[in-house]
Order: sequence, then C-alpha cells, then structure tokens
Amino acid sequence: MENGSNKWNFQQEEGELNKASPITVRGILNMLVANINKDEDRPVVPLGHGDPSIFPIFRTAPEAEDAIVDALKSAKFNCYSPTNGLLAARRAIAEYLSSDLPYNLSPDDVYITLGCVQAIEVMLSALARPGANILLPKPGFPYYECRAACSNLEVRHYDLLPEQGWEVDLEAVEALSDEKTVAIVIINPGNPCGSVYTAQHLEKIADMARKLRILVIADEVYQHLTFGSTPFVPMGKFESIAPVVTLGSISKRWIVPGWRLGWIVTNDQNGILQTSGLTKNISSCLDVTTDPATFIQGAIPDMIEKTKDDFFSKIVDILRVSADICYNKLREIPCISCPSKPEGSMFVMVKLDVSLLDGICDDLEFCLKIAKEESVIIMPGVALGMKNWLRITFAIEPSVLEDGLKRLKAFYQRHAKKQ
Amino acid sequence: MEKKTKWGFQGNKELSSTAVSVRGVLNKLMRNINENDERPVVTLARTDPSAFPCFRTTPFAPNAITDAVQSFQFNCYPPNVGLASARRAIADYLSRNLSYQLSPENVYLSVGGTQAIEIIISVLARPGANILLPRPGYPQYESRAAFDRLEVRHFDLLPENAWEVDLEAVEKLADDNTVAMVIINPGSPCGNVFTRQHLEKIAETARKHGIFVISDEAYAGQAFGSNPFVPMAEFGSIVPVITLGSISKLWMVPGWRLGWIVTSDSDDILKNTGFVECVNSYLEISADPPTFLQAALPGIFEKTKNEFFSNILDVLREDANICYDRVNEIPCLTCPHKPEGSMTVMVRLNLSLLEGIKDDMDFCLKLAEEESVTVLPGFVVGLKNWLRITFAIDPASLDDGLRRIKAFYKRHAKK
Repeated sequence: MENGSNKWNFQQEEGELNKASPITVRGILNMLVANINKDEDRPVVPLGHGDPSIFPIFRTAPEAEDAIVDALKSAKFNCYSPTNGLLAARRAIAEYLSSDLPYNLSPDDVYITLGCVQAIEVMLSALARPGANILLPKPGFPYYECRAACSNLEVRHYDLLPEQGWEVDLEAVEALSDEKTVAIVIINPGNPCGSVYTAQHLEKIADMARKLRILVIADEVYQHLTFGSTPFVPMGKFESIAPVVTLGSISKRWIVPGWRLGWIVTNDQNGILQTSGLTKNISSCLDVTTDPATFIQGAIPDMIEKTKDDFFSKIVDILRVSADICYNKLREIPCISCPSKPEGSMFVMVKLDVSLLDGICDDLEFCLKIAKEESVIIMPGVALGMKNWLRITFAIEPSVLEDGLKRLKAFYQRHAKKQ
Repeated sequence: MEKKTKWGFQGNKELSSTAVSVRGVLNKLMRNINENDERPVVTLARTDPSAFPCFRTTPFAPNAITDAVQSFQFNCYPPNVGLASARRAIADYLSRNLSYQLSPENVYLSVGGTQAIEIIISVLARPGANILLPRPGYPQYESRAAFDRLEVRHFDLLPENAWEVDLEAVEKLADDNTVAMVIINPGSPCGNVFTRQHLEKIAETARKHGIFVISDEAYAGQAFGSNPFVPMAEFGSIVPVITLGSISKLWMVPGWRLGWIVTSDSDDILKNTGFVECVNSYLEISADPPTFLQAALPGIFEKTKNEFFSNILDVLREDANICYDRVNEIPCLTCPHKPEGSMTVMVRLNLSLLEGIKDDMDFCLKLAEEESVTVLPGFVVGLKNWLRITFAIDPASLDDGLRRIKAFYKRHAKK
C-alpha cells in the first residue's frame, strides 16, 4: 500500500486553529521576541512578563534552595504523592495562610497543584457545567479565558475602573450575572494593574457574591507583594459572607516560578463548598491529572518555616524602588499615561495615546516596533482585554529597568507626531 | 432578576463518575487491614519500589538536581516544549536503542508519564472519535479518556500467546473514527515483552486502518528475560509512532514526575494531520515540569552508571523468579506467562477451588484482612477474577507475602 494514498483518521479540523492557538502571555511574548533585531548588540529588556528570577538581586532565599536539596537527599520523597498533596506540605500551607486569617485552615482545605496554572485549570474544570458562565476581570490574566474555553465555560467580562484604583465595577458585575453564573474571579494584588484592594472593597465584593449566590475565586498569587499604603488582605477573611476559593503559589513571593508549586484553598467554614459537591470535583480532577514532584512538596514545610522575614522585606523593597522608577519615568513620556500608581504585584497598566504617534496605529504595533527597534519587550493590552493600553513589569533589576525606560522614551521621541 | 436562594455553583456530576482508580481500590484494601496484626504489611497491589533500599535510585540523580537548583539558573519559567538541553538529552538517550537518530524537535517534556497520557488523550479527543486500548491495561487511559469524552474500545491481550495483541480484534474494532491504538511495552500489567516481529505486525495493522500507534514505554529498559526490548519507534517508517516514557521506573523515582512524548514519523504524517500543532498548543496552556528538573536531565542520563541498571534488573529477575515459583505452588492461582519485564504480573484466580470467596475483589479484601497482604483485583485493569501482583519489592518481603497468600489459600480451599 503506498504511503501517499493512506488516509489517517486523525485530522485537525478547519477553524480548529482558533481554539488550538489561544491568546496566552507566552504566545504573545514569543511573537514579540521573534521580532527582535538579531543584529542588535544591546541586551533585551524584558518588561513583558513577571519573572525576575534571572536577576541576581532577586535570587530566592538560600533556605528555599536548601529545603529542596535536603528533601532530595533524604530519599524519602522519591515515591508517588497522595492525590491532594503530601500531608506535611498541606499542613504547612494551611498554617502559613491561616496567619493572615481570623480562623484556622485545615490541611484538608488545601489542594496542592502544579503552580497556580494548574490551580486555575482544575478550578475551572470543576466548575464547568453546560450553560454555566463565569465572571472575569477586564483587563485580566488571559489564562483564565483560555481555560474557560477548554472547559466550555462561558466567559463574561466585568470592568476594572482605572480612575478608581482599578476596583471592580460592582454594578457591572450585578448586571452581567444571571442564574447560570457560577463564580467571579478577582486577582488581588492585581495583575495586570498593580492594584491592591482595601478590606472595604473586598467586603463589598463578598456582599455582591452573596447576593448573586456565586463563588469568589481569589487569585492571590501575588499575596504579600505590596509596597504601597494599602496592606494585603486575603479574600478568605470574608468567607462567612460568601464562600471563597483562594489560588496561590510559591512562584512570586519566593521568586521561583520554575519550581511549579501552587495550591487551591477552600475557605469555607460553613461547608457550603463541601455540600455542593465542588470539593469532591476538585479531588476528582486532581485524580486524573499529574502532580508536582513529591520532593518539592516535601521541601515546603522547611521552605515556609525557615525563610527569613528579611528575604521577603528585601524583595518588597526592591519592588517599591522599581515601581517608583517606573512610575516616574513613565510620566516623562507624553504618549503614556498612568491612571493609578502601582501598589503591588509586579505590573502596571498604562494607557497609550496613539494620536501622539506617527505611523503606529495600536498597542500591538507599538510593541512589535519597540521590540524591533529598541529590543524592549512590553505586553500589549489587547492581549489582556484592553486595546491601546500597555502592561509593563517593573520587577527587574533597577538599572535594567532604567535602561529600558530610557529606550522607551527614545522610541517615543523617534515616533512622536511632528507638531 | 429574582433572588437565588441556592448557590449557583454545583459539583460537576459527570466528573465524579469517572474512574475506578488504582488509588481508590488500594485505599479500600488498606482500610481492611487488621490493625492488630503485628506482621508488616506486604503491598503487592501498587507499583512504587522507591521505598525499598534495594531499589534506591543512584546518587548521581539527586546530585544532578542539586547542582541545577544551586546553580540559580533554573528558577525561571521553562519553554513550553521543554528546555533544549533536556530535549536533546532525551533524543540522544532514546536513540541508543534505535537504528536512527531522533531529533530534539521530536521530543516534548511532560510532568511524568501521567501528564504525557493526559496530553495525548486530550489532543486526540474530538467528537465521534474513538481510541483502542488493551485489556488488561493501565486504568489511567480509561479515566482520562472518560474525562475528555473520547470513546474507548478494548482489544484483548492473549494470555495463552504471551499476552500478545489480538490483532484480529483490532481489525474488527477499528473504523474511520479510530484515531489511535495504545500498546504498553514492556507490558503493564502483564509483565510481557513484545517480540520485534509482533511489533512490526502491530505497525502494519495500524497503518492499514489509518491509526497512530501510541507506545507506552514507561518500563523501557526493564526487560530482564530472554526477549530484548525493542522500541516501537523502530517502525516509525511504517506508521506514525508516539512514544511515551519517563525516568520514573528506570531510575526508581516515580515521585519526580519527569516524562516525555516523542514522535517518530518518517513521513511527517503527524505534522501534516495537525497533530504536532495540537500538541504544541496544548503544551502552551498546560503546566510544565520544574525547570531545574529538566536542566538536571542531561546530567542524570550521562552520569548514571550501567551497573546501577544491571543491579536493578538482577533484583527484578530474582523477584520474577520468586513470584512465578511461589504462584505455581498455589493451586487456585495460574500464571499463564512468566514475567519477563516491567514490575507486575497477571495471575488467573480459580474461584471454583475456593470456599466462600465470590470474586477477585472479595479475595483481595479478605486477604488484606487476614494476612496483611494487598494485591490488586484484576477488574481494575479490565480482567475480572484475575489478580495483578507487583513483584518489584525486596525479595524477602515478596517471598513472605506469597507464602501468606498460600496460607490464605489453604484456609479457604474447598474441601
């Protein structure tokens, strides 16, 4: 039988390409990086994504590295781990998170996942039902949209209000929801906006969720990375008003995104999530998916216990300095305006006024050109739901940040519309 | 809008109905163990040899990881498809057993064999499609297929024929919607190793029906009998082959979760049909193995001495002998094919020789209770009234466990 005439039963369908190539931060970054001029000598300034781990000043705590090495050497963690995660790790995470809460989490409230990414995957799979919809912030983190599409969960976007510190537009939330709405996702501290919500605002969100009878999914991957006047308050504090599921990981606070260890935590003293069958679903999903390496789980107790407070405060200090540099330098660039100074996370969202530019029609074109001409990578807001905005990370070595912002200014000057 | 009184989210009922899982049944058996029995529990129901000193991994492996962690260069996000150095190391390593050189481009890193299965099943699942799975088999395939709504059709492995694939059954089951067939070689749960000739026939049958071959080679390199292990990728010129593998079994580190998917396909069919693109897209949105673990892989492959592997094989061979010999002394158990690879063997249970035991699950529950020995009832892997016995434990405990099974038989033998 000839090769050429063979028919193969697997065939990617027409139009499947859209589903097959979702917008992801990684995807857009790859596209921008591909545009960089290969002959350019200057190093690339990565202002497009939140991964400061490559810079020596952001190196993770030695206690964290030691914890991993010890776990490996013990040879006690070469085995499979239980579905929801090693008990010792779950207990350590429960205690760690409880220190910010008015009640104590149990290890059974903790489910260990492969980074926050898998936490999102599992939560959305667990919630998906025919006809259900979920409320996501705009601008937001596109992975939620991606995963919702995979699970056939309808997405409805509510606005974050730039002139109000990027707070949730609660009226929009109420207008959007109906009897098929299952949950609202909030990201606090905020990605991409750099906002940190007050306790009052979080309580209002909880009140609204209760009124609408929906779950609050609080993405707190940037927990405690706040450097402004508003302290971090966990959404779990308001679980008596509406059930809260918290997603988090060690990636950002410990600056180890490559280690892939995260969690789903149910804040549910009234057992509502249990009764609804949702906690069982979370376990069922985890049963059919892979887990983080057992030795990394095994390292968690030591990592949490032994990492010193000055490591955390050092990181926050660097972020504070960088955020200031970023905010101040951006103000010198006429085509860019920043409605709200960042107070947390690793990002700031700024508005781009293309009318002040020649030959650049939107944010994507801006980002493609600046990658090519200045070897600076910036995330276009269209990828996050807001066209003609830009997401800039300040979580890089301050001198590199200064260089990048200088190049940004030079780019503006080169493309400024002549008056 | 009228105020809802009920909470809007409810458990997704379909999810809860998936899977009989090994973990689930194991938990039931363990709960049946008599707490007052002072003898150590002998677990022949689950495959995780990492706990036994005779199977401890080579120190080179954790050292390679420690070096990667302490180098500080690998705390960052990894690329979707995996670190280039890891892909290259896997391509080189697997090519040692092949008559041609694999390219790193054909290698995708996954979080263990488990995620490799997840990725492949998810990519193949589409409305109306079906996949052919072996029976007995490895239940994660069924679980994942159910979760992704991919229809499953089972073909038998033939116990009287060294557990070879029933190719006639494959021909009957395959239709235009069959996208792929899965083989597990060396075999789990049967402990067999397919001959080169048989693999070639499988390739030809698959090609005839337009289906891809997924070769689960988690136990590659663990053939300790007379049949050498032949990778299915050898036949990539006949049919597109998707090989799944990991370091879990060969290095005795299932908890490390580091695996791979490798495509072997000399006519670029996997590319032309869009399969490769779909895999890439899936990897873009799924979690990855830790970067430092990937970075350690070249060191792990390079530095592990051959003696480490041959020592392991010696222990497994000894275990397989003990297992086969002891099972032959127990009249209600028949082992149709002496294990020659992997870590488990399938044994038929003859209930007619027993009193008061109604099926394989009942046998296993009572055995756990009376003798503190666990074996897996065959229904979990698709063969009711068979047993799956894991022999990959330390030889002395294996011997003890099998003697206790013999005692159990005597106590329950029909007069």
